[in-house]
Amino acid sequence: MEHPILFISIILEKLGLPIPHGPVGHTFIEQLCAPYMTYTWFVMAFLLFVAKLTLGNLEMVPGKGQNFWELVIGGMDSFFAENMGREMTDKLFPMIATFGLYIAVANLIGLIPGFMSPTASINTTLALTIIVWITHHIIGFRAHGWNYYKHFIGPVWWLIPLLLPIELISNFARLISLSIRLFGNIMAKETLLAILFMLAGAFFAPLPIMILGVLVSLVQAMVFVLLTVVYFSQAQEHAH
Amino acid sequence: MSDVKREFVQLLANYGHIGFTFAAAIVIGLAGGIYLDQKIFDGRTAPWFTFIGLAFGIAAGYKSLFEIIWRNRESHKKSDNED
Repeated sequence: MEHPILFISIILEKLGLPIPHGPVGHTFIEQLCAPYMTYTWFVMAFLLFVAKLTLGNLEMVPGKGQNFWELVIGGMDSFFAENMGREMTDKLFPMIATFGLYIAVANLIGLIPGFMSPTASINTTLALTIIVWITHHIIGFRAHGWNYYKHFIGPVWWLIPLLLPIELISNFARLISLSIRLFGNIMAKETLLAILFMLAGAFFAPLPIMILGVLVSLVQAMVFVLLTVVYFSQAQEHAH
Repeated sequence: MSDVKREFVQLLANYGHIGFTFAAAIVIGLAGGIYLDQKIFDGRTAPWFTFIGLAFGIAAGYKSLFEIIWRNRESHKKSDNED
């Protein structure tokens, strides 16, 4: 399906850069200029710019912008500490909070005409999920050393042939379910909006879906963050 | 965030992804079984590894389902003791 108008792609095309017409390009430059890449850069620039604008000079008595960020960051911090403990939160807060903010903004900009959600592409969500998945194994190894393998073999030795494949499969299933759920929800929202615009855009048919889209975007970002926290704290725990 | 909203998000995250995890576990088990049958053993062992993989996949799906129930029960016990 042809995407609606994406203004970054149009600007890049005017600048003479190659824009891929399929989902991904063939050459390296074409892949860099794919819409989900350019909009990822846009979201990153937006977050940096807003943070610089509101947190450029910190004050003891916070203004509007600083107040907002203190609410968001403080809420996330207490939320993580409740679920995985203070020590791990201090260590991993920058990573998980960045993921949460990035996913929330990336989901939400898809609702504005002329933008698309970078998370509506499986490449973005799979990349995020692989980072989380590898990190939770690193946390497990660092917490337990080589004893980490005990997480995968169950309580008694004669159950190993039965439980090892089951544990491995359910561990890999996390990789797929986490990425596909985010990708599927956001892509469904984008596709539904595009189809409703095409069919009955003049009668404001996409409006109810847009309201639902705001809800879905925020909830999916929170769910991703919460599952990341749960996986990290499970890797940290002792094998049962 | 208020307590009700926080609990709502936690319930949503815990139970909302079980459908996907269940399906993904079965698909991974089945795909692994088919891969063993067709690519490693060139179809000589078909359909046995496919069935074994499918069984392991379904078992893994149920395992992740029960894991969520157990974790929830433990946290309930913990909060009951605190109250």
